[in-house]
Amino acid sequence: MRNTLAIAAREVRTYFTSPLAYVVIGVFLLLSGYIFWASLVRFSELCLRFASNPYYASQLNVNDMVVRPIFGTMGIIFLLLMPVVTMRLLAEERRAGTAELLFTCPVTSGQVVLGKFLGAACLFLVMIGVTLTYPILIMNSGAAPDMKPTLAGYFGVLLMGLSLLALGLLFSALTDNQVVAAVSAFGTFLFLWVIDWMASSATVTLGALMSRLTLGLWEKAGLGIAGPTLGDLLGSLSIIGHLRDFQKGVIDSRDVVFYGSVIFVSLFLTQRVLESRRWR
Amino acid sequence: MLEVSDITKVYGTRTVVDRVSFSVPKGEILGFLGPNGAGKTTTMRIITGYVPPSSGTVKVAGFDVQEQPLEVKRRLGYLPEHPPLYSEMLVRPYLEFVARIRGVPRRQIRARVDRAIERCGLQAVAGRLVAVLSKGYQQRVGLAQAILHEPDLLILDEPTVGLDPTQIREIRSLIKSFSGEHTVILSTHILAEVTMTCHRVMIINEGRIAATDTLEGLTARGGGGRVLVRFARRADGAEAALHALPGVASVQAHEAQDGGFAVGMRPGQDAREEIAALAVGRGWGLLEMRPLTRSLEEIFIDIIRGESSGVADPAAGAAAGGNAEATA
Repeated sequence: MRNTLAIAAREVRTYFTSPLAYVVIGVFLLLSGYIFWASLVRFSELCLRFASNPYYASQLNVNDMVVRPIFGTMGIIFLLLMPVVTMRLLAEERRAGTAELLFTCPVTSGQVVLGKFLGAACLFLVMIGVTLTYPILIMNSGAAPDMKPTLAGYFGVLLMGLSLLALGLLFSALTDNQVVAAVSAFGTFLFLWVIDWMASSATVTLGALMSRLTLGLWEKAGLGIAGPTLGDLLGSLSIIGHLRDFQKGVIDSRDVVFYGSVIFVSLFLTQRVLESRRWR
Repeated sequence: MLEVSDITKVYGTRTVVDRVSFSVPKGEILGFLGPNGAGKTTTMRIITGYVPPSSGTVKVAGFDVQEQPLEVKRRLGYLPEHPPLYSEMLVRPYLEFVARIRGVPRRQIRARVDRAIERCGLQAVAGRLVAVLSKGYQQRVGLAQAILHEPDLLILDEPTVGLDPTQIREIRSLIKSFSGEHTVILSTHILAEVTMTCHRVMIINEGRIAATDTLEGLTARGGGGRVLVRFARRADGAEAALHALPGVASVQAHEAQDGGFAVGMRPGQDAREEIAALAVGRGWGLLEMRPLTRSLEEIFIDIIRGESSGVADPAAGAAAGGNAEATA
C-alpha cells in the first residue's frame, strides 16, 4: 500500500510539474465549459420563447437540456485526451531506464500498476472535480438542476474515465514509445466508440450468424436463430453506450459491472505484460 | 552473502552469460572486469532480479532471487549502467521517493537522504532539477540512490563513468568505505579502478569467467621474475651464454628492444648479478637491465585473448600458465 501510494504520489507530482496536466485540464475545461455555456444559453432562450405557454414551459427541463449533454460531451473529450494522460506512464519508465529502478526495488509489479493508475486517476479527478462548479453555478438560479441525476451522471463519467485510463495504461505497458502508446490507445478508444454506431445497423441475430458460419449445423442442433442481434452485442461493448443510462440519471448495475470489469481486466493484463516483458 | 550458481542467459540464439558461478563473502568488494559486451551488465541484472536467468540460481543472503524476490530486493542497492533518474524531479524529492519505495522507515527517510547527499557530495545540487545536472552529478545521484538505504549488497554497474578525476577518487574512497559492512560488486572496464578499490577481480569475457583472482595473484602472474637486458654491441653467443648461467630458465630476443633479451629466472632464483658479471667479462657493454613486470592491462589483454583464441600469445610467457589453469 505504501509503495503504491509512493508511486502514485510521484506520478501526480510529475503531472503537475510538467505542462501536461495544465494543458489537458485546460483544454478539457475550455471545451466542456463552452458546451455548458452554449446549452445554457439555448435553454434560457427556449424558456423565454415559451414563457407565455405554460404547457411547453413545463416540458423544459434543465437536466435534460443542459446537464445531460454535458456528460456526453465529456465522454467524447475523454476519448481524445486520455491517451495523452496515460501514454507516458509505463512507456517512459522503460525508455528512461527507470524501470530498472522500480523493478529492483522491493515493489511488486501489481503495486507499480496500481500506483500508476491511481496517479492518473488523481489527475482525472481534478479534471472532472473542477466541472462540478458548472451545476453549482446555476444552483441558485431559476434553472437549478436536480442534483441526484446530476451526481449519477458524474458517477458515470468517473467510471468511464477510469476505464479509459486503465486501457491506456495497458497500451503504455506494451511499448516503450509514448507516441505508439498514445496512438494505439486512441485507436482503441475510437473503435469502442464507433461500434456504438454500428450497433444500430447490425440487425442480424447472433444465432443466425452462427448458423451461417457453421453451414447450418447450428440451426440443426436446435440452438435457435432468434435472440439477441449482433448489434446488441456490439452495443454492449460500446464504451460510450454504457454512459447513456448514467446521463439520464439511472445507475444500472450492468453499466457499473461493465466499467468495473474493463478497469479490472485492463489492470490485470497490464500487470501480466510487465511480468512477461522481463523474460524477453 | 551472494551465491551465484551456474547461471546462463540466452537471448534468442545468443548466449550472453554462459554457466557463470561464483560466490562473494560478506564485506568483500568484487570487481567485474571485461570488454564491452562481455556479459557484465546482464550478470548484474540477473543478480538484482531485473532479468531472470535462463537457468541457474542466484542466492542473496540465503534468499533465492527468483523465489523470494522481495526479500532479495530489500537487501539490494543497484546502480544500473544508465543512472535511473526521473529527469523532471528535483534531486532531493527523487531520493526521498527512492527511499520510500526501497522500504526505508518513514521517520528515517530524511536522515538517510541527508546522509546519502552528504556522502555523494550532492549538497550543492540537492535543490536542482535532475535534468539540468551534468553527467558527473547525475552519476552521483544514481550512486546516492543505490546507497541511501544502506544495502547489504551493493551492485554498481560502471560507477565512475562520466566523472572527472577528483570525483572518481572520491567515489572510489566512498566505495572502499563500504567494505567490511557491505558487500560490493562493481563492474568496470577501467583496470585502475579495480586496482584501487577491489579485493578480488573477476574477468569476464564472452559470457564466461576467464579468471578470478585477488589483485596480488593477478599481478604475480605478470611478474614471474623476468628481466630485460640490453647490450651495446650485438653479441652472437650471448643467448647461449646467458642460457648457460645457473638460475636462468629462458632467454628470448626481445622484439621491441634491439639487442635486448628477455631473460626468465628459475623460480626463487635471481641471476641478475651473474648476468651483469658475464656481460662485463665478455665486454658486451651492458646498457640496461630492468625487471619486466607486465602491467595489469597486459595481463588482462592476455587473458581475454587467451580466452577468445584458445592459444596463448607467445609473448605472454609467464601469464600463459596461470591463464590455462584459470580457464580450466
